[in-house]
Amino acid sequence: MKHATLPAAALVLAAAGFATPAAAQDAPTLRVYTYSSFVGRYGPGEAIEARFEARCGCNLEWVTADDAGSLLGRLRLEGEHSPADVVLGLDMNLAEQARALGLFAPHGADTSGLDLPIAWEDEVFLPFDWGYLAFVYDETRLSEPPATLEALFTDPDGPTVVLQDARTSAPGFGLLLWSEAVFGDGFPEAWAALSPRVVTFTNGWSEAYGLFLEGEADMVLSYATSPAYHRAVEGEEKYHAAEFAEGHYLHVEIAAATRTSDEPELARDFLAFMLSDGFQSLIPEGNWMYPAAMPDAGLPESFEGLITPDEAFLFDPARVAAERRALLDAWLEATSR
Amino acid sequence: MTIRTPRLPHPGALVALGLAALAALSFGALVGAAETRAGAFALDPYLRRVLVFALTQALLSTALSVGFGAALALALARRRFPGRDLVLAGLGAAAVMPAIVVVFCVVAVYGRSGWLAAGLDALGSSARPNPFGWTGILIAHVFLNAALAARVFLDALARVPAEHWRLAAILGFGPLATLRHLDWPILKSELPGLAGLVFLLCFTSFAIVLTLGGGPGKATLEVAIFEALKVDLDFARAAVLAGLQLAICLSLTLSLHWAVTRAPVAPTQSLPVARPDAADPRLRRLDLAVLALGAALFAPLLAATLTGAAALPRVLDADLAYAAGVSVAIALVSAGLACALALALAGAAQAARSRRRPGVAAAYDLLPALVLAIPPFALTAGLFLALRGLVSPTQAGFLLLPLVNAIGALPFAYRFLAPALATTQERYGRLAALLGLTGRARLAIVDWPTLRRPFAGAFALAAALSFGDFGIVALFGGGALRTLPYLLYERLGSYRLDEAAAIGLILVATAFLLSALAARTARC
Repeated sequence: MKHATLPAAALVLAAAGFATPAAAQDAPTLRVYTYSSFVGRYGPGEAIEARFEARCGCNLEWVTADDAGSLLGRLRLEGEHSPADVVLGLDMNLAEQARALGLFAPHGADTSGLDLPIAWEDEVFLPFDWGYLAFVYDETRLSEPPATLEALFTDPDGPTVVLQDARTSAPGFGLLLWSEAVFGDGFPEAWAALSPRVVTFTNGWSEAYGLFLEGEADMVLSYATSPAYHRAVEGEEKYHAAEFAEGHYLHVEIAAATRTSDEPELARDFLAFMLSDGFQSLIPEGNWMYPAAMPDAGLPESFEGLITPDEAFLFDPARVAAERRALLDAWLEATSR
Repeated sequence: MTIRTPRLPHPGALVALGLAALAALSFGALVGAAETRAGAFALDPYLRRVLVFALTQALLSTALSVGFGAALALALARRRFPGRDLVLAGLGAAAVMPAIVVVFCVVAVYGRSGWLAAGLDALGSSARPNPFGWTGILIAHVFLNAALAARVFLDALARVPAEHWRLAAILGFGPLATLRHLDWPILKSELPGLAGLVFLLCFTSFAIVLTLGGGPGKATLEVAIFEALKVDLDFARAAVLAGLQLAICLSLTLSLHWAVTRAPVAPTQSLPVARPDAADPRLRRLDLAVLALGAALFAPLLAATLTGAAALPRVLDADLAYAAGVSVAIALVSAGLACALALALAGAAQAARSRRRPGVAAAYDLLPALVLAIPPFALTAGLFLALRGLVSPTQAGFLLLPLVNAIGALPFAYRFLAPALATTQERYGRLAALLGLTGRARLAIVDWPTLRRPFAGAFALAAALSFGDFGIVALFGGGALRTLPYLLYERLGSYRLDEAAAIGLILVATAFLLSALAARTARC
């Protein structure tokens, strides 16, 4: 019996793995790399695919990696052989490393319609959504959240938090940058003060947010838009993001077309479509982030009442790339003692 | 003893060469793709701390897991009770539970808002359990590995020949004499291989140590390798760290092998026999205590997966069916491959032993576990680099996923198959040689009847292990290559914690069924 199942299994594998190129014969195929939750059952990917295919006469094929870091890792491994036409879902901190791969072409898109808290000048990367890092809490468990990042870090009686590891996670590294912007050279001491109240550092956002929902900590490092998810999907109003007086770390998700693409025209069309209403209107309640260009209908109701920080911290990608190692080493020293 | 010089190399020798070549190819590709020179690397204070921590926690986890696993196996070997089959299937499921599921189960039971906390509340106590730190890491590691150890030991104990039990009964062996003369030699023969495997699993444990550890200081080298490979894209550092990990694991497993030698197995067939020591009242109490402790450790954590049941109806869709199909296909291929590789290696070890070359045999015994010391992430990345340009990335994923999973399951399969093969060799080797039985005929007539039971166990374990694997899918998943663990993480990334829990339940339930099925196949 086992002898019969093995070849059958191999056949299924072969069919699944090698049949995909055959489907692409009649229409050109655009391969877009992104992270998995963007195209999963609840992500905006499927609707975006349908809308773009309706106007391009092409096949849009999503190729996914676990998260932004894996995405970059995969590109790095594939190098010049990468079949990617567009990469969607890197963040600003990975931008410099991604640029250094030399795989990307200028976007050539009109950026005048962008709606970001900052001016956009990059010629290679285009933003498609953005949000603020923020600490999310449940008001039934924490009635008075700290008003500043400083209070959160240094008040010994402050709330417990669950964080992401700065080495393995994008928001985790974002908080490290954020703390450096607020505390300057004193950031290692601030981390040492916070450490006793850190329940744990997880390897990714999902694990941390899961632990928070299970009730393991008073606050979790997430996005200022997270409460909108609970409101829209669960009808749950008790989750909020704490607004910090110093300002918030700005997380911008970016996309770019590859230089090695077989379909450069199509890739540029996709980037232009990315900033149009058809794509952007799917972002708020699909990816739970702010759209990079305001959709015609504006923001959904679930986004009302979210915090609107006065100050947005964004870091120069070149500086981040240069200082990354030193920052991480100082952070490790401060937190692992 | 006939000494035969084979003209062709043993298939196991080719497998060993193949594995070494794969490892070398992957390391070579990593180093070749590196832009920096590997020399620019020092063992900084942080890395030294990580090494000390990783070694300590792995040694402690191993001692607890193997010790408790042995006690459990002895208790289960001595006792027959209703539901014993379910307990064995539960152990099989626990041994292969995906790390992320274990983490959430530990938190659900021992967390600040977990079941234990609720129990304490109900008793009026304000004490709060804290699973983060040593407690959580040890609970998770002992849960996974004591289950594995108990299964392996229990399988081994079943190989005690019936004559020994009759003799023990005639000589009036007490519990101590039984342990010393019958059980201990068997446990001892399994010890070095099993302890080495458990040590490797704990030493390279990634998500459990990081998430339950509570702080970045509680990490393993695997975290540093991950960082170098995935975040810094520093392939040279990754290769050096992976080499360091390999060297540590090699020296530890080697010393274990030399410290404990294998016991010879008597040349008879074993039959189910009532153990004379089962009636001893002190042992009865001890076994009861051990089984109760086992129930206290395993039952709540396994039961915690049931919280996923609520969201089951919402995940049962075409997406899930597709992912389950891909997972099953990959699990079958990689389990078959893992068992075939393990049999070939075990056969080569056996052949070397009968040619009186124990050093060579020990090398074969070591190889499967050593492969675990190569981080799957580094192995996959390296092989992918070597393959790129030859096949498309999607095709590479479909080739590498079963292969790397099979390599990951190989040491588990080997632990089940090698001792059984050694038993048949020692019992029937001479007879088979006398009759001129070789190759497939020997396998079918001589080896298979004894091998069937461990083969079923090994296949089920390897399949379940591959079924729940997320390591490689993280990098190459997506598109057509969507497995159940991939889906689990996708839902977790979309705030759907409950649906992720439901998929986790499906993974654990599948492992449970596989384990129960294996036990049934082994019996009939």
